[in-house]
Amino acid sequence: MINLIAAMFILLGLVFFTGGAVGIIRMPDFYSRLHPAGKLDTMGLLMSMIGIALYSVQGFSLGEVLTGLKIILIVVFVFITSPTATHAIVDAGVRAGLEPWTQQRRGEES
Amino acid sequence: MKLVALASALLCGTILLFGTAEFPDFGDPDSPAASHVSPRYIEEAMAETSAPNIVTAVLADYRGFDTLFETAVVFSAAMACFFLLRIFGEDERRPSEKLYRHLPTGITLRIDPGGKVPDSPEFERIDGIWIPHDVIVKTTTRLIIPFIQLFGLYVIAHGHHSPGGGFQGGVILGASVILYAISQNLRQALGRMGEAVSAVFCAAGVFIYAGAGALCLLMGANFLDYSGLAPLFGVDAIQARSLGILVVEIGVGLAVMSAMVWIYYNLASMGRHQEGL
Repeated sequence: MINLIAAMFILLGLVFFTGGAVGIIRMPDFYSRLHPAGKLDTMGLLMSMIGIALYSVQGFSLGEVLTGLKIILIVVFVFITSPTATHAIVDAGVRAGLEPWTQQRRGEES
Repeated sequence: MKLVALASALLCGTILLFGTAEFPDFGDPDSPAASHVSPRYIEEAMAETSAPNIVTAVLADYRGFDTLFETAVVFSAAMACFFLLRIFGEDERRPSEKLYRHLPTGITLRIDPGGKVPDSPEFERIDGIWIPHDVIVKTTTRLIIPFIQLFGLYVIAHGHHSPGGGFQGGVILGASVILYAISQNLRQALGRMGEAVSAVFCAAGVFIYAGAGALCLLMGANFLDYSGLAPLFGVDAIQARSLGILVVEIGVGLAVMSAMVWIYYNLASMGRHQEGL
């Protein structure tokens, strides 16, 4: 039963990762590409790490629970660092003078 | 002269290429290494060195000479960067104007060379590439650097039982200092871990490694045969080998950490150590 739930979580995480990968390719410019890269990877990591943590605490012994907690600790650190990295990249882009992409009207040349 | 150099290089290359033909095939189960050496390590490493991680046992104990000179290579790489890049004194072509920011008002003063430097806690010296809104990055790195360093120490100390060891842990520790230098600025990082400190630590790491080997000689064993250290540690010979591996890993970690930081300082500031990334 717990294996099934863990597999569901990991699959859900993979869905988020796939969305992030597709978004990086499909989004039109630098800033909007960072959106899937930053958010969906963090979310996918949360889901897949919850799945792996559930998978590792099969017997609820002390060692297994500690392993699960360590895996959750990875999520905590990624939740702190990943938005900071995205922030730093966007900040560098703004200060380098990169214009954000805007929707152009049909027939209008840039 | 160039022709002589070319001829000698070609000759050396040809001999090396010729020599590779004599090597056993990749993954050949009948090669001497696979038929005598590897089984010995796999079967005896735990019993002889009390280190469950065979990689660590091979790296730091059975092939200690190899790792000793690898550490020396890291040290000489840092030394080479220092000798090639480091420039002492002011830059004549680009005299360094100093920028000071008045904290309460946010006004930046440019002090030309020879000008009077404001001596007040309200002024903060800033770089030419100063970043205005870096509170988030600074706070996050402040939060995360202790954990990175703790993890680096864990990787060094836990190399007996899990993947890791001196090189990996040293790189993690060095990365934490480099992260500090990137997120704050180079001068603050130099204040925390100066050039002299990193140079001395780099040499001290190699010295700890070679010194552990020499201590074995003094105790009457072979060079880098840690079982000779047993009377010093007060344990039996096998435990002494395990502890000797730890001593050596600490030396490697120290050397690698300070080599990384030292190379970063020289590369990031183009050898001047005034303004960096």
